[in-house]
Amino acid sequence: MAQFRLQGSKVLAVDLAGDTVKARNGSMVAYTGQMGFKKLSGGGDGLRGMVTRRLTGERMEVMEVKGQGTCYFADKATEINLVRLNGETLFVESDNLLCTEASLRTGTSFTGLNGMASGNGLFTTKVEGQGWAAVTSHGPAVILRVSQGLPLRVDPGAYIAHTGNLHRALKSGAGWSTLIGEGGGEAMQVEFTGEGLVYVQPSERTTLGGEV
Amino acid sequence: MAFTRINNKMVSAQVLPGQRILSQRGSMLGYTGEVSFQPNLMGGQGGVMSMIGRRVANEDTPLMTVEGHGTVMFGHGGHHVHVVDLVGDTLYVEADRLLAFEGSLQQSTMFMGQQGGLMGVVRGQVTGQGLFTTKLTGHGAVAVMAHGGVIELPIFPGQPVHVDPQAYVAHRGEVTNKLSSALGWRDMVGRGSGEAFQLELSGQGTVYVQASEVKL
Amino acid sequence: MSYPPQNPYGQQPYGQQPYGQQPPPHPPQGPPPGYSQQQYEQSHQATQAGMPLPPQAPPYQAGPAGQFGAPVFQPPGGEGPKVWDAGTLPDNDNVNPYCFSVDLNGAYYLQKGKMIAYYGEMRFSGVGRGALDQLLERNFNSPLHASDWVVAEGRGKLLLADRAYDLNSYDLEDGNLTVRSGNLLAFEPTLQLKQSIIPGFLTLIGTGKFVAASNGPVHFVEPPIRVDPQALVGWADCPAPCHHYDHGYLHGVIGGLRHLTGIGGASGEEHQFEFIGAGQVLMQSSETLMADRSVGVIGAEPGIPGSGVPHQQQHGGGSVPGLGNLGDLGRRFGL
Repeated sequence: MAQFRLQGSKVLAVDLAGDTVKARNGSMVAYTGQMGFKKLSGGGDGLRGMVTRRLTGERMEVMEVKGQGTCYFADKATEINLVRLNGETLFVESDNLLCTEASLRTGTSFTGLNGMASGNGLFTTKVEGQGWAAVTSHGPAVILRVSQGLPLRVDPGAYIAHTGNLHRALKSGAGWSTLIGEGGGEAMQVEFTGEGLVYVQPSERTTLGGEV
Repeated sequence: MAFTRINNKMVSAQVLPGQRILSQRGSMLGYTGEVSFQPNLMGGQGGVMSMIGRRVANEDTPLMTVEGHGTVMFGHGGHHVHVVDLVGDTLYVEADRLLAFEGSLQQSTMFMGQQGGLMGVVRGQVTGQGLFTTKLTGHGAVAVMAHGGVIELPIFPGQPVHVDPQAYVAHRGEVTNKLSSALGWRDMVGRGSGEAFQLELSGQGTVYVQASEVKL
Repeated sequence: MSYPPQNPYGQQPYGQQPYGQQPPPHPPQGPPPGYSQQQYEQSHQATQAGMPLPPQAPPYQAGPAGQFGAPVFQPPGGEGPKVWDAGTLPDNDNVNPYCFSVDLNGAYYLQKGKMIAYYGEMRFSGVGRGALDQLLERNFNSPLHASDWVVAEGRGKLLLADRAYDLNSYDLEDGNLTVRSGNLLAFEPTLQLKQSIIPGFLTLIGTGKFVAASNGPVHFVEPPIRVDPQALVGWADCPAPCHHYDHGYLHGVIGGLRHLTGIGGASGEEHQFEFIGAGQVLMQSSETLMADRSVGVIGAEPGIPGSGVPHQQQHGGGSVPGLGNLGDLGRRFGL
């Protein structure tokens, strides 16, 4: 079993004993012991993964790391959030998925308008199974609970991941009634309803949905 | 301790008469007291040849000498600052990552190609870090910059550490380094994985690695 | 025993030096070693005259800087990330060093695009429209670029963040604080926002809370101090912010040669902002400027520096007139 632990808040250390993890291409910063690196197709497996890459231009390339020892991963000094999955499904913006245990299945899911608004491709990576996943965020992620009667609205650029039984809908910011130049600046928001957790980062990607 | 940590991106240093501090030009954030900042043509020590070497290596990180009486705060570019105390040993650090160091340290520019022969040259080119690395020896403190902070990884005999050249910050101790190429290594397994070249550090010491593949 | 009385903390490893063992000869800004990571003040109030004086905080503490450490909100030891919801999110306080939670009940001004999430019912409208004109009159006493600002109205919890920069909130109590325009993120409508005489800076006056971002944690120092222009976030109460040029490097034969040929260069530190008098200077630990916000064009009137000068208007939206130029000047000197 690969052991995931954090070395500081920005470096992921994975102890491997002959087993395998999948990680974002080029995210290894150091290792001890013996490691092999192999490029995978990326963006998820199979046809949909390929379609993803074609459609979105996302270069979510994945490598497989196998070996004995400790491998250290990091991505542009972003914070690393460890998520333990016990059969649930994690939806994560492809850019933010750093590393997953081999026991987890990754695929793509169509995210519709959310993806469009965030300029981050139409597909989100879906992670299922049992094991650890490491998700990056620009600044430490804030985890927000969504429950019945307590919907949450997030800026598409700040959204990084969610778990649970959540429904997503794109909303235009209420009060966005005037010209763009005088608008509220929060033109597009994603509303989450249902039960689950939403991970947001204290930062906003440059998005297509206007200067949000 | 010449450098006092203010926060993870700022250090302050006391400057006393007769003790100078060398720092990267333009890295002073603020100061109190009477302190002067003099550009340092020679990059500290090593004379003209050192300077030429630096020019050739395109590693001309200009330094300035800080003298006087007061307290000076250093920081640069929002990068994390890590202070390393040297007690008679040697620190090898990429010149771009050198924020400030005490004048009591012996500074020289090292030709990395000396270690590892041709591969050393290749390494310099691959990493884009130049062939010259600043070598600091003696007793004193060094403030090093890194994108996203550094982790320290110990190196033990027989247990080499492999580092992504882009994430390499500095190392100290009795360490030999060579560029290991994944090319031709296990049937080009590493090809395309983004980890084609790795710095292999072996011996006894410590390597400082930053939490990012972004070079400064 | 020949040993001097042993300091009880003597055994501690380095980085943990106890107070007094190494008395910092620069009391105002010398934080005790190792303090910085641990401290996280509830809401970074400053304790200087004119700056907020929270009831419990004695004015003029020995090291006010000590209160403003790198905010590390949760010790890394605490396993299991904290999950927040509308009820548990803090009221007008930091969620973590980079995210601020506003308990909205009424109106709040924020820079456009800094909302990352919210619970509750709220609407965001551009400043300067119809119904908000009255608010505008009351709070914006500066020819601000209105489109840069948004009013959030409603009820709920509002999360603010800015490109993972450090956020600090400041409580003003009948005080004033001047801050670089690009660093101001949000403020309560009880405060008045005015344009500083110093180009590119905004002054907040009155009583209330505001949130400012900085590249790295904010470090507070007391004058007299000289600060690199790019590291300056703002200041409170300092009566005399002025420029300081170090001409020493241009003197003498070598200096002249340098000046003429550029060979040898400059140290890059020939120009600073100098502060004297009582007050607090806010520094950010970086020389990377945050993108400046336009503070609007100053009316061309006699006696107003920087007003209506054509080349400054060219800078338009993004950059700040005057200050940007000074920064350039410094850089030019430096090169």
